[in-house]
Amino acid sequence: MNRRELLTKIGAGFGMVGLEALLRAEGGPPDPLAPKAPHFAPKAKRVIYLFLNGGPSQVDTFDPKPALDKYHGKPVPSGNLATERKTGNLMRSPFKFTKCGQSGVEVSEIFPKIGAMIDDICVIRSMYTDRPNHEPSLLLLNSGDKFPGRPSMGSWLTYGLGTMNRNLPGYIVLCPGLPVIGHQLWSSAFLPAVHQGTYLSLEERDPKKMIQNVRNPRLNADEQRRELDLLAALNHRHLAARAGDPQLEATIQSSEIAFRMQTEAPEAFDITTEPQVVRERYGDHDFGRGCLMARRLIERGVRMVQVYFGNFQPWDNHDDIELHRPLAAQADQPISALLQDLKASGLFKDTLVIIGGEFGRTPAVEVGGLVSVQNGRDHNNHGFSYLLAGAGVKGGMTYGATDEFGFKAVEKPVHVHDLHATVLHLLGFDHTRLTYQYSGRNFRLTDVAGAVVKDILA
Amino acid sequence: MKGAIFLGSFSLFLLSTPASAGEREQFETEVRPLLANNCWGCHRQSAMGGLRLDSLAAILKGGKSGPAIVPGKPEGSLLLQAVSYTHDRLRMPPQGKLAAPQIAALTDWVKRGAYWPSDDVPPAPAAKNGEYVITKEQRAFWAFQPVHKPEPPPAAGRFNATAIDRFIGARLAQEGLTPAPRADKRTLIRRATFDLTGLPPTPDEVDAFLADNRPGAFARVVDRLLASPQYGERQARYWLDVARYSDDRFNSTDEDPYPESYRYRNWVIRAFNEDMPYNEFVKAQIAGDQMPASDPLKYRPGLGFYALSPEMQDDRVEATSKAFLGLTVACAQCHDHKFDPIPTKDFYSLQGVFDSTKLDEYPLVDRAAVDAWQARKKKVDQQHEVVTRFYSAQRDQLAEILASQTARFMLAAKGLAPSAGLDAETLDRWKKYLAGRRKDHPFLKSWFELEDRKAPEAEFRQAAAGFQELVLAIRQERKEVDEKNKITLGLNPTRDQIASATLVSLDRDKFVLWRDMYERPNKDAAGFFQSTDGVYYYGKGKIERFLTGAWKEYLEAQQAELARMEKELPPKYPFLQVVADVDKPADGRIHIRGSANNLGDVAPRRFLAILSNGDRKPFTHGAGRLELAEAIADPRNPLTARVMVNRLWQHHFGRGIVASPSNYGQMGDRPTHPELLDYLAARFVETGWSVKAIQREILLSETYALSATDNPANDAKDPANHLLWRANRQRLDIESLRDSILFVSGALDSKQADKAPRFDDKNTQRTVYGYVSRRRLDGTLALFDFPNPNNTAETRNTTNVPLQRLYFMNSPFVDKQAEALAARFTGDAPSRIRAMYRTLFNRQPDAVELRAGQAFVERGSWRNYAQVLLGSNEFLFVD
Repeated sequence: MNRRELLTKIGAGFGMVGLEALLRAEGGPPDPLAPKAPHFAPKAKRVIYLFLNGGPSQVDTFDPKPALDKYHGKPVPSGNLATERKTGNLMRSPFKFTKCGQSGVEVSEIFPKIGAMIDDICVIRSMYTDRPNHEPSLLLLNSGDKFPGRPSMGSWLTYGLGTMNRNLPGYIVLCPGLPVIGHQLWSSAFLPAVHQGTYLSLEERDPKKMIQNVRNPRLNADEQRRELDLLAALNHRHLAARAGDPQLEATIQSSEIAFRMQTEAPEAFDITTEPQVVRERYGDHDFGRGCLMARRLIERGVRMVQVYFGNFQPWDNHDDIELHRPLAAQADQPISALLQDLKASGLFKDTLVIIGGEFGRTPAVEVGGLVSVQNGRDHNNHGFSYLLAGAGVKGGMTYGATDEFGFKAVEKPVHVHDLHATVLHLLGFDHTRLTYQYSGRNFRLTDVAGAVVKDILA
Repeated sequence: MKGAIFLGSFSLFLLSTPASAGEREQFETEVRPLLANNCWGCHRQSAMGGLRLDSLAAILKGGKSGPAIVPGKPEGSLLLQAVSYTHDRLRMPPQGKLAAPQIAALTDWVKRGAYWPSDDVPPAPAAKNGEYVITKEQRAFWAFQPVHKPEPPPAAGRFNATAIDRFIGARLAQEGLTPAPRADKRTLIRRATFDLTGLPPTPDEVDAFLADNRPGAFARVVDRLLASPQYGERQARYWLDVARYSDDRFNSTDEDPYPESYRYRNWVIRAFNEDMPYNEFVKAQIAGDQMPASDPLKYRPGLGFYALSPEMQDDRVEATSKAFLGLTVACAQCHDHKFDPIPTKDFYSLQGVFDSTKLDEYPLVDRAAVDAWQARKKKVDQQHEVVTRFYSAQRDQLAEILASQTARFMLAAKGLAPSAGLDAETLDRWKKYLAGRRKDHPFLKSWFELEDRKAPEAEFRQAAAGFQELVLAIRQERKEVDEKNKITLGLNPTRDQIASATLVSLDRDKFVLWRDMYERPNKDAAGFFQSTDGVYYYGKGKIERFLTGAWKEYLEAQQAELARMEKELPPKYPFLQVVADVDKPADGRIHIRGSANNLGDVAPRRFLAILSNGDRKPFTHGAGRLELAEAIADPRNPLTARVMVNRLWQHHFGRGIVASPSNYGQMGDRPTHPELLDYLAARFVETGWSVKAIQREILLSETYALSATDNPANDAKDPANHLLWRANRQRLDIESLRDSILFVSGALDSKQADKAPRFDDKNTQRTVYGYVSRRRLDGTLALFDFPNPNNTAETRNTTNVPLQRLYFMNSPFVDKQAEALAARFTGDAPSRIRAMYRTLFNRQPDAVELRAGQAFVERGSWRNYAQVLLGSNEFLFVD
């Protein structure tokens, strides 16, 4: 049956699917989300990025500094580093650290469950970024640049790898409310727009309402399928007359994804189908539900899921570092449950889990700013900790070190670009070769820097 | 968070320098500022002791005493001995030793190999008496050259029609690119109508154009569109992107709408409709209160450009320079601009103008009406204050009274004392508080221990008495803390002042107890919260039962009076949100490294050096806004006209001649057609800064009329179509999309809105009138790439995500409009389908489309069919 015959049959009510198939077969641009092989055999196939937004304090969590006890209340001998607000004397951590696991890596008492799994986790203690402010550091961690306008890490990943499940977005961002900066953090910037992160609010408890407009209040699936078949047929004719303009092709693909999302997405987000015992292990709060959803999405082939801990910036404890305790309690349980589940299902082998915030906090107490109580710490971009776990990463180790007080990364410092280079390496990319030409230049996630942190590779 | 929208510009700078970001970062954030602020005064141009410290070569060469550093060897480096004051002779800087972290940074830098960017900008600016001097090379940069009107080159064939075509055509010929054929008339009228009005043409308009075979048919269409009221509604939105227009303040927790923001928006619409000369349009926004005009409302509403600024951060210099000049002057806030000849001092010269400017309102009723309303409002406020103060005083007093019974409450809660005579609710609160048995309670642990070991009553009595003393003492201490901080900060401290002050607070444990006893429920951004009233906190609605007799009568009377006054107060008179000069305008000082605590030289209020010829005159008229406005709108200013014509060009072609429309500096893009840009800029001034004249000239060019047809040979040479060998197919932005859906369904309400209605189901007005939030942008606007109103936006992104498709498939809005569209036409199926095609796509369906449509409606509804058409690419994209 040639095209003309087929079109004639359509007129007689033959149906639309065949037309679409035929027009597709006539050649269109390659599918930008088709699974693609990276540069070399990857250790990781997917990423879960748990973002503790606000900036968790390293010296109260994963970077013990006994010197803070000794020098508590005394000035930093070499002077305080510049941060956003004025800081005063050194302040000890109110939390105790204990050696955990076989490896004996020290972890704060506020993360007992993560501590129990430390043999599966690599702690980078020498991270640093370029600015002590939330906005530039959030952008750096997410897109490799301090200013808006660069593609996010998740966008680079779907650009480089495609997606494993076309019925769900390849890159999903979960947050109760919005982190500071918001949507720019998962922007695809100048990469093709199909690589933009799909943001879903965890404040919405009804899985059918989580995605804007995911349900049609009026049409049943058959009626809607008919609509979409006609739409696809019309769009393909329109496209054929326009030499395969990729932006036209992309909306056609998006329609199909959107159609399948209507059934698959609510199912994926519906954690009520999980046994009660599982839900309890993750905890009935926003971040717990986010971690559980992340697991379900990863299981369904989503390339990258990013879960922000909370609305705005919960870890931003300028006032009272004691607040890290309840925050940690909400993070500790679901993170450990997630890691356990990934291990049990075998996905741990090829899933990379990244845990951390936009920066750390000062070991000195904050005295500037109208805070209710001076028991907190200011932003600190000079040194902080990040956790990596899963595919290709050595567990039970620490890497790098901050100075005596935990102010600045001094031993094997790891810049954000280095972290990104390492993540891309684990996913099978030479970070210098995952590029996109835009405006006459080749861009990459790591800008012109970045070195793979080899010592942490398993 | 400011600036730097230009993708990748920074990385271009870095490409030749394979350094780790750490090195680069350290150099730029620590080493360079340190050298610039402490050393370059003597060791740059003046090279004292024969030493320059402004390039690695110079540093390695050193001065009279030898090389200044040995990379990798701090111990052998003279510079480090000098700055650490360990050298027997050299102690630098002579005015005082550097701070320890600075010395450490310098040492670390040497130790790590003394990285210096190999592509560093020439360290030329000659310091003349410490003044920044712009070099010849900097002055020679293209953007700072005066605009001249070039002669268009000859060009072949159909590209010889207009000057624009000759510039474009010559370049295409030069690059061996074949221009696409001319678009057909239907495509052309559709494109022009969307471009100029944001709406599709009606079938009648298309028919009329197709039937008009006389010369000048398209010119007549363009003129009609330029004269239509929808023109301003379309063009204004582009400017509102640049002006970062919003209907609310950025507030991280609450909605905070501006009362009268829409007046600025409507003024912009009117300015475009009336083709206000652009130089006046610019001046009105900066100094509309100071321009002579017979109508006081002709220019003044333009001040909303500043009056509606984001208030989280002062971006007024940035907004001014990016919007009007295409310069990133804000990059010079902490140090001289890294790439462009803009010294820090120039930033503070402009900042001085804005620091001498305040937010104000301009009433739209007469003085007497304002005074009368204000007087009534003042009385209401005073009455409100009376009530509030009474509550606060009573609350404080009551807390004091109750706190002095703390021991009795605690014992009664345990049953160790009678509850008679104690307030029952407070006792209940105490019972709950104690029953919480918070293990981490700093002051009640011992109390809980007593309970655990069932201690004798006497011990409880003793503990309760001690606790009462503590509760009272902490109350006193908190008052003292508040007092101290008030003294430290003074009145109305700025954010910076607060951030860098040394403040005091209760220590943590005491704070917790103070909060538990005396504080209202609250929740701050850090999650530091308390969900219930403090034990002794009785606010409005709770305290009333404690008030009897005269107190009760007094409160009730005052409350009633307040309620009456509030009810009788009419709505506030209408006004413009504007800015005004402060009473005593003054020059500011340079903030060294951007810090308000580190003040440098006075920066006289005056215009930018690079855009001034010869001696700059300081601004003397008030804050200097009018002088600033005139300097910007001066036809000799090389940037103002170039920047605006480029914005107009971008609207029509999807990309500017300069692809970075708000950055004409080193890091911005270079013009693809510099002579065309100059030609347009010169024409702009010649036509009396007429936006419509320039748009008319653009639309009547052959270049504008190219079809969007692809050409593989061209594609290989210029895939992004920078040289305009074809038209760029453009996706409708959200305004055009939503408006067009309403337009074709027949639901569009074409009235100008005199407010900013929310985007609810009832809102059928044009999108430009809808509520724009800095805090939380409307979901549909955000879904379709509406720019963030916290920043000056220069271009719109076009993204494509499945959620956008769900909008077409499932949103109640599209469904409702589909229903309306389906109901618009009657008759048999073919005629209804034809009518829809003509309305949506301005063409007839072909036989296949007709049959497909008929087949569809045989088994489905017209409403569903309409929904398919509304969601189609042909509707969403303009060829």
